[in-house]
Amino acid sequence: MSEDRLWKFRRPEWLNSIWARNAGVYTAGGLFSLAFYVLLDSAVWSKSALNGSTVHVTFVDWLPFIFSSLGMLIINSVEKSRLSADSFSYSGSGVAWKARVVLFLGFAALAGGMAGGVTVFVLRFVVPGVPFPAMTMGVENVVANALVGISSVVLWVSQNMEDEYSYNLAL
Amino acid sequence: MPTAGLKTIIALSFVLAVGFLLVILSCALWHAYYPLLVVATYVLAPVPNWICSHCANPDDFVESSGAAVLDLGRFCTGFLVVMGIALPVLLAHSNIISIPAMVMSVIGGLLIYGTIISFAMFFQEEQEF
Repeated sequence: MSEDRLWKFRRPEWLNSIWARNAGVYTAGGLFSLAFYVLLDSAVWSKSALNGSTVHVTFVDWLPFIFSSLGMLIINSVEKSRLSADSFSYSGSGVAWKARVVLFLGFAALAGGMAGGVTVFVLRFVVPGVPFPAMTMGVENVVANALVGISSVVLWVSQNMEDEYSYNLAL
Repeated sequence: MPTAGLKTIIALSFVLAVGFLLVILSCALWHAYYPLLVVATYVLAPVPNWICSHCANPDDFVESSGAAVLDLGRFCTGFLVVMGIALPVLLAHSNIISIPAMVMSVIGGLLIYGTIISFAMFFQEEQEF
């Protein structure tokens, strides 16, 4: 009965919205997994017999990915509804400001990770002129950090769909 | 669907056996037992979803903390599902396992995961009605 009422007064495709939201969260997890395994692939390939060059993946190559993941964790841990909260609302004073500062730190870590990926690619692979099968390790570093960024965008968008969904259920 | 229960279970267990056969064959034919990790991945894949759905209060849709726990479970499940495909590709790229072993373990893993998901769906339907 309540479902019928929701169908009549709210958005007709609220079911689609839940589906899209869940699919978005699954996709974000998949994209993050893809990023992790792209980077792990470069590390495993670096130690395998196929790598004839002297270039190897070290901890420095993992550092941009760690910063990107940290940024993604921070961004998606912040409660989105507190962002627009005013000081007189139930969320207490200054919460919106704190949320914006933490969110800024998260975006800075994410962007720093992506910039670090490009930096590692340029400084360790492009400038010394590494030939191509070994160059893949640098390309994979950039791709992994870009995938973390895409994953956090997908997660952000699908978490913003959640608000309309919970609003529908609240009424 | 109680009428099609037995046939469904037989078909699903047959598919599960074929999936395990493919994965074990991909290990045994080339004497590289890394693709067995795919089985562990796909068996573990529904676990975060299951745990988080029990952690979240189902009545608590208004408060977003319950939905956040559900989202965490979905995120981890998505991570593990893609891991089951990415892991054989990674191993094949580094020449640790061969390309046919990669294909067999990916197909076998997807069959195993499909069986687990179908079982969960049928069980849920029987429980609900």
